[in-house]
Amino acid sequence: MSRVESKAGYFMVMPYFVYFAAFVAYPLFFSFILIFHRWNIVTPMEFIGLKNFVRLFRDELFFKAIINTLIFLSIHIPLQIVIALFFANLLNKQIKFRAFFRALYFLPVVVSGVVITILWQQIYAYETGLINQMLLGLGFKKIPWLVSPEIAMPSIAVMATWKNVGFYIVLFLAGLQSIPNELYEVAEIDGASNFQKFFRITLPLLNPTVVLVVVLSTIGGFSLFIEPYILTGGGPLDSTLSAMLYIYNQAFYFNHMGYAATLGFFFAMVILIIVIIQRKFIEREVY
Amino acid sequence: MKSFLFLFILFFVFGCSNDQKNAFNQANKKLTYWCAPNPEEIELAKILVDKWNRLHPEIQVEVQALPAGQSSEEVLLAAIAGGTTPDVCSNIWPGAIAEYIKAGGLVALDEFEDFDSLISARKIPVDLLESFRSKDGHFYQLPWKTNPVMLLYNVKIFEKAGIERAPRTYSEFFEACEKIKELGIFPGYTDIRPIWWQRFFDFYPFYIASSGGRTFFKGDDLDIDYEIAVKVFDFFRTCFKMKYFPITNFQVDPFLSEKIAMRFTGPWTITYLEGNKPSGFEYDFAPIPVPDDYQGKVYTYGDPKNIAIFSTTRYKREAWEFVKFLVSEYSDSLLLEICNQLPIRGDLLENKKFADYFNRNLKMKIFAEQAPFTRGVDEVVEMKEVFDAISREFEACAVYGAKSPDEAVKNLIKRTKVIIEWSK
Repeated sequence: MSRVESKAGYFMVMPYFVYFAAFVAYPLFFSFILIFHRWNIVTPMEFIGLKNFVRLFRDELFFKAIINTLIFLSIHIPLQIVIALFFANLLNKQIKFRAFFRALYFLPVVVSGVVITILWQQIYAYETGLINQMLLGLGFKKIPWLVSPEIAMPSIAVMATWKNVGFYIVLFLAGLQSIPNELYEVAEIDGASNFQKFFRITLPLLNPTVVLVVVLSTIGGFSLFIEPYILTGGGPLDSTLSAMLYIYNQAFYFNHMGYAATLGFFFAMVILIIVIIQRKFIEREVY
Repeated sequence: MKSFLFLFILFFVFGCSNDQKNAFNQANKKLTYWCAPNPEEIELAKILVDKWNRLHPEIQVEVQALPAGQSSEEVLLAAIAGGTTPDVCSNIWPGAIAEYIKAGGLVALDEFEDFDSLISARKIPVDLLESFRSKDGHFYQLPWKTNPVMLLYNVKIFEKAGIERAPRTYSEFFEACEKIKELGIFPGYTDIRPIWWQRFFDFYPFYIASSGGRTFFKGDDLDIDYEIAVKVFDFFRTCFKMKYFPITNFQVDPFLSEKIAMRFTGPWTITYLEGNKPSGFEYDFAPIPVPDDYQGKVYTYGDPKNIAIFSTTRYKREAWEFVKFLVSEYSDSLLLEICNQLPIRGDLLENKKFADYFNRNLKMKIFAEQAPFTRGVDEVVEMKEVFDAISREFEACAVYGAKSPDEAVKNLIKRTKVIIEWSK
């Protein structure tokens, strides 16, 4: 390769390099520096050693926020996989208006999270919400969807599932279409029931997609922010205070940039460990 | 003729404003003054600045309402960071001043030789004045106005319930609540949202009142009176547990619509109530209730807002002269007349200049009597997060009854210590 060609190569990777340097490398490096400082944007940065970590390990509210996030994930991920797999199976069959339904289920994914959350705020409202009005009409009692500390987080998990399920349906659809049809034909000749075909062929061959869905929805779930920020503000009784919302509050509500950066790094480590564990337990060799 | 008149008015209006602008542009020294962004204070500031500019052609002041933002404190911090602070600002909340000082944003006002004489002229009570002194011994804020938080009650509902006078103690308060409850009305109300500043209208004034004027800190050290804090949490816990206070927010004003009989608020409510009350509606104010065994004068939260000079000013001496003008008797009279807010001065009820106002506004007299017995917030950098912690415990203990008052105070002290130790 001549020198002119190699210069052109550098020139062509330049846009990505600039983007990476400005929006990934620099913020990451700066956040790392902030871990050892106290900084409220206004006053000069003050080196405080490991004081941010000392506070982190004594910060009960942050650990409550992590537990809240894990509660959210424990409802959200299984619900998402079951619903996405169910609809992916349906949409993989020869049904009428298949393309229309595929588009319909994907629609909430492309709509702004804020818009959807505000919509669900109306649906979940205690006095005037659609669901409670329907329940009253059917002779049932109203349910405090967002005002009960026990129900608020499950309500948010259901809403988040509704918003994201379309994306995972698409992933599962792609996985289902990659399974060779011959396997089902052979199973049918052998007299396998639909139930057996699903659990012996579909599910094992979908393992790589399941791993992908679990990992993606775990990372996505750990970033839970818009829903509690708009719906509940973290309440009632901090029951919907997610780790991301707490980090956001520390950074932009109390102007504790250094402490928020410390929480962010610690939280990233927690996510990394959980994803490694998940992969270890879920990932299987596929034929 | 009509078009001539129109042209004349246009010429007059724009001619005047150009004159003012020209005066500002031609002045040797120019100052920028930020006032609070509410209509009454903007009107007051414009009148005062107009008069100042006419009296001082060589030092022209331009008034601007504090730019819109989440809160005045955030706007001022952003301005300090960006180096765009005004010369003078009259909306300084003492709870945020520690950060401004730390950022080197303020001028020490007691370095002006006539600072002491100005304070003496305003006859500010010594203990109240001292509460505004910074940890380094200087005064970076000039006490300007106060809005004491008091008990507001519906006179007619009280009469109907057979309550003869406003409750003064916790027992009297609960007794009154029982009587009002029988009428099918919620006796009291406080906003249950766990927003940090919301506690300035329930927990904090009650804590100050019940402790005889104590705040949370002594210098940099946490100094919460454990027993008093437990008593206050217990008071509000009872209010919600006995359904004296509703666990809800209302779409319309619950006090004016007579859904509630009492709430805790400041003098700014008078203008609002007078403008919106239905005919025959009667209300009055009383001091914050205190524990049954409390003796002495009842204090409350004063919600003070003060005046400061920012260190970016090029004309310190001129800015100080303007600040002195803002707290003159003339300016204080206008503060009362236009804004219905109380100047921080010890002679409010003795000074003849204000007598006419208080004769016409008897309800403001109640606040003026309370004004010397008020407290602000401590000069602690992390005050906002401390109040956020109070709000969380208030929600858990008082509103939902999920924690005992003991647990709430212990948790509050534990979290506050973590916050404060980290900030040192």
